[in-house]
Amino acid sequence: MSDSESPDHCDHGHDHEGPGYATPQAAIEEAERERTAYVMGIYTGTGVDAPDFVGVVDLDPESDTYGEVVNRVEMPNVGDELHHFGWNACSSSCHVDGLERRHLVVPGQRSSRIHVLDTKDRRDPEITTVIEPEEVFEHDLSAPHTVHCIPDGQILVSMLGDADGELPGGFLELDENFEVDGRWDPPGEIEMNYDYWYQPRHNVMVSTEWAAPETYYPGFDLEDVEAGKYGRKIHFWDWAEGTVEQTIDLGEEGQIPLEVRFLHTPEAAHGYVGTALSSNVFHFSKDGGDGDGAWSAEKVIDVEAREHDDWDMPVPGLVTDLLVSMDDRYLFFSNWLHGDVRMYDVSDPANPRLADRIWAGGTFGPSHPTGEDDREVVGGPQMLQLSLDGERLYWTTSLFSSWDDQFYPEEAEKGSVMLKADVNPRKGTMELDEDFLVDFGDLPDGPARAHEIRWPDGDCTSDVWQ
Amino acid sequence: MVLTADADETVLAAARREGAGLPFGCRTGACATCTGRVLDGDLEHVRPPRGLKARHLEDGYALLCIAEPRSDCRIEVGAAVANDLVSNPWK
Repeated sequence: MSDSESPDHCDHGHDHEGPGYATPQAAIEEAERERTAYVMGIYTGTGVDAPDFVGVVDLDPESDTYGEVVNRVEMPNVGDELHHFGWNACSSSCHVDGLERRHLVVPGQRSSRIHVLDTKDRRDPEITTVIEPEEVFEHDLSAPHTVHCIPDGQILVSMLGDADGELPGGFLELDENFEVDGRWDPPGEIEMNYDYWYQPRHNVMVSTEWAAPETYYPGFDLEDVEAGKYGRKIHFWDWAEGTVEQTIDLGEEGQIPLEVRFLHTPEAAHGYVGTALSSNVFHFSKDGGDGDGAWSAEKVIDVEAREHDDWDMPVPGLVTDLLVSMDDRYLFFSNWLHGDVRMYDVSDPANPRLADRIWAGGTFGPSHPTGEDDREVVGGPQMLQLSLDGERLYWTTSLFSSWDDQFYPEEAEKGSVMLKADVNPRKGTMELDEDFLVDFGDLPDGPARAHEIRWPDGDCTSDVWQ
Repeated sequence: MVLTADADETVLAAARREGAGLPFGCRTGACATCTGRVLDGDLEHVRPPRGLKARHLEDGYALLCIAEPRSDCRIEVGAAVANDLVSNPWK
């Protein structure tokens, strides 16, 4: 299907009435600086018997509490392992009058419980709805992960397992009232699941693979890799029909494809996926190279393993998160085990060019990157979030509780940090802000792990355009 | 601490009822957050303990969210027990 034949956008009109922004460029131009961040705080595996929380972080440089966790919305139960979360509405619904980007959908990875927070008061959100695990298990799904709003008010959640934590996973759909609508996909389309992103003008969704919850929950075991229990495929779906049209096996160099992003430009048919275990980044595109408009994927960035005196084998980078700037000009990704975050120029999408990198924590980075008098960073760069104007990159250091405990056991005792770099998009450079460190090790219930980051006005890892 | 479990009550349920802070997650036997190590006694898993491998079961680990005591038991518990299931495979 060519762009001119793609569905929906011709009658879309782009009269901006609903949530979000009319175009990615409008987001860059019209958004105010982020002054509040919502950050997941997790207690699984720390020994602290307290519920996870959504932390409210003050990012207003003019504020006396800048860089502090100023509020925490505690979940009603312990043991959720909050992980990824998303908005009830984004720019893909910008044509829907009356819809607001106001509710955060906050799943528990381990519990399969789904919470809904009303953020009308940005600094004091409150829980309004809780979907209990049993309601999710009824649809033979568990382990909720990626939350995207889909146009017109519905919400789609990728689910990594069945009700027993085994394969296959699938997708759960919620309606605009945050009630479970049912399973979105016909069962059997995929076996493994993880992250997904959609690009409506190409009528496509792309999804990735981690493993069965029963496999990754307890921790990373090479025995499971050898047994083929970890994913290495990406799936291209017919977005309207909810069926898989094409699957690409990324092979040995594409083991554990996690976060996946399309470029933000709605016409673009380019995207990236980071393959954690193989420590590579693949570029995928509907390149039409073979004339039939099929999707293809090619490794474009290879992070080489590095020797370390304390390790028996070379240390892989472990590309655990990546994002594309709102102007589609830069790709950022984290090497969680090595300890660096990289910035690539992707103005030629198939040929990324390393622009800059920062070392902070990890196996090879400085353990006190913001200064020797500041607290130690005991993990590596992990979940990333970029300001809409592309000038401030933030990240946290926790990956997943049981995996954290294998590779950075000190994090359970000391908690995570949130760090920031100032980015110069014009020059393609980054500089660590040594005056910024949000300490999740110093909280009333004890040290917490910090994970995904979101802005109230949308961000580079949640907004999609029609 | 000493807990008394009712008939057909899991160790986790008994702990929660008595206000003991055992870690847990999925409550279906998949995630192993609630892993304990049985030092003495007999526990029975009432659902398949999917979060544990054969080697873990042989070493006496049990998932307390789906395990019911069949005798007096002495169980090592806490987050550190679950962390012992896997280690850094490259180090």
